[in-house]
Amino acid sequence: MSFIDARQVPNGTQLTPDLVVVGGGPAGITLALALAHTPIKVLLLEAGGMEFDSATQQLYAGDETGVRYIPLDATRLRYFGGCSNHWGGWSRPLEPIDFEQRDWLPYSGWPFSRAELEPYFTRAQQLIEAGPFLYDTLAKGDLPGSLLPLGPGGVYNSFFQFSQWRGNANHLPTAFGHRYADALKGIPNLQLMLHANVTGLRLAHDVRWVDHLDVATLSGGRFTVHPRHIVLACGGIENARLLLASNDVISAGVGNQNDQVGRFFADHAIPRNTATLVVFGGEIAGFYKANQDARGAHFRATLAPTERFRREQKLLGALPTVEQRVELDEIGRAAVATTSAALGVDASNAHAYSLGTGLELAPDPERRLTLIDTRDALGMPRLKLNMTISDGDFASYRAILVELGRQLLAAKSGMLRLDRSTRTEWLSAMDWGNHHMGTTRMHEDPKRGVVDANAQVHGLANLFVAGSSVFPTYGASNPTLNLIALTLRLADHLKGVFG
Amino acid sequence: MSVSRRTIMAAGGTLVAAVAGGIVYEGWRLLRDRYPPTPYDDLLDRLNSREDARRIGLVFLGRHRNFTPATAARALRQRIGAHELSAALANEVALGGITEAAGWIIPESVAGLCALAASV
Ligand SMILES: Cc1cc2nc3c(=O)[nH]c(=O)nc-3n(C[C@H](O)[C@H](O)[C@H](O)COP(=O)(O)OP(=O)(O)OC[C@H]3O[C@@H](n4cnc5c(N)ncnc54)[C@H](O)[C@@H]3O)c2cc1C
Repeated sequence: MSFIDARQVPNGTQLTPDLVVVGGGPAGITLALALAHTPIKVLLLEAGGMEFDSATQQLYAGDETGVRYIPLDATRLRYFGGCSNHWGGWSRPLEPIDFEQRDWLPYSGWPFSRAELEPYFTRAQQLIEAGPFLYDTLAKGDLPGSLLPLGPGGVYNSFFQFSQWRGNANHLPTAFGHRYADALKGIPNLQLMLHANVTGLRLAHDVRWVDHLDVATLSGGRFTVHPRHIVLACGGIENARLLLASNDVISAGVGNQNDQVGRFFADHAIPRNTATLVVFGGEIAGFYKANQDARGAHFRATLAPTERFRREQKLLGALPTVEQRVELDEIGRAAVATTSAALGVDASNAHAYSLGTGLELAPDPERRLTLIDTRDALGMPRLKLNMTISDGDFASYRAILVELGRQLLAAKSGMLRLDRSTRTEWLSAMDWGNHHMGTTRMHEDPKRGVVDANAQVHGLANLFVAGSSVFPTYGASNPTLNLIALTLRLADHLKGVFG
Repeated sequence: MSVSRRTIMAAGGTLVAAVAGGIVYEGWRLLRDRYPPTPYDDLLDRLNSREDARRIGLVFLGRHRNFTPATAARALRQRIGAHELSAALANEVALGGITEAAGWIIPESVAGLCALAASV
């Protein structure tokens, strides 16, 4: 069956699927694929078409305050496949510690452990086409080069794997819309509608149930969907917007009776040139500098803190990677010559590299999305993001770098220079991962979260959320593999809900 | 014990040789590094290049104003003792004995040696 164009749907139409999935990014597509062989009649509503379109993209624009962040219409894509149309494919499972409630990290912890996601990682890995699920086991097998020797301590050689669209000549990461279009067209119980923007969730009289959804097209079409169940899969920013903007009955918005929706926004900070890594023995193995292939995986090394070190030192996650080769200044050359000689090693062929990192942020309720007065072309209120990053977040990463420096000296393999200390220095070379998380956080207590452990919105019998907006604590790992595993778990739950 | 003339001559010979050797050694040092003798040469001689060490030491001293060479030298002698410097550093680093100079993470003893080099 081919996709339906919502612009052709007559005004006033009422659709009645079993389940409506709002959003056709990796989360929505994963859910549709996972429910393929069930009797559940699914309608997937996607705001965009098959390709980028600036009028649709404009619907994502918003305001920002606080720390400089990417404009809201530049940090995501509103067409079929969502942000996977230009994601980087970096993948890594969250670590068990990321799920733990930690006394020293306010608001931390998931309602379950990583073991809960374990059964879903293999399938998630297949969907992102990142080869066999190897990650840290890569260190144990043959690699095309040597691991950087590190003395015993809190940092270890760890690995990312990369999504790689197998049929694609350029080996780009899997763009879910194009990659899975044919598979989706072959699902008998699925209707997939493009150019269908959900603009509101309308509650039933008892406010315990979403009665219907309003759908609008940019060509002026308006119709409604009356499903038994709903999954929001509009991405980590738009899931919150849709809940907040559906405020005709409850003024705070759907699911927002405890003022949690939109709070705890997070992304991974990506400060560049954070440190200089010197390798005494010469050139570092290629898989630290770029993606390489081994054992069927496209991978790259990171110098990651161990879970034990993070627990002991009370540290957030960080995944430092080698950026590029750099030249040392006079003091740097003196430091390397003096230290290597004192350690009794030859550093005459030493190579220096800059280190960047992906950095976890501590959960912060004030890093949040709120509605503003301006409206988009479909009449929906736009968002404002208040972005924050604390000095503690930087200090946590610095402690990891210091430990890495110590371990290099202990192994007599190299040394490290810290290149950022003040807040201004950190912020001066700051990128962001475009990993939108936390705005509909998962917590068993409705006062502390928007969805429960099954991703069901507290207090609403038929509304669920898929995607990284439910992550209550973020880790440093890239979100997509993990949100897909979580969506597969949700699919299993929904199969039970539908009996 | 009676001291024979022969012993005195031998001792004298050794002394002469030692003094001469000392002059040659000092002369060689002066020629090589052009450094006047200091009370810390036993430590500073463990450095690869005093000029390099001085560069780092100056930065380190900028952030450690109460550094006193005599106290630091005593501590360094105690820590390093008769060990090879590299062995002493390995032990030190394993126990967390690191510090920062100009952003560089270096063993505390290396920082101490550099600071000494910068203070003489
Ligand atoms: C530049 C960039 C690089 C990235 N690199 C990586 C990476 O290397 N590794 C990694 O793990 N992650 C990366 N990400 C993040 C990754 O793309 C997201 O985690 C992932 O796409 C989220 O999937 P999703 O389905 O939850 O949301 P999205 O991908 O945002 O998809 C949401 C979908 O919902 C649709 N939609 C939105 N609103 C409505 C509405 N009202 N009605 C109907 N449909 C709607 C959108 O059009 C879109 O198709 C990157 C993102 C960007 C932008």
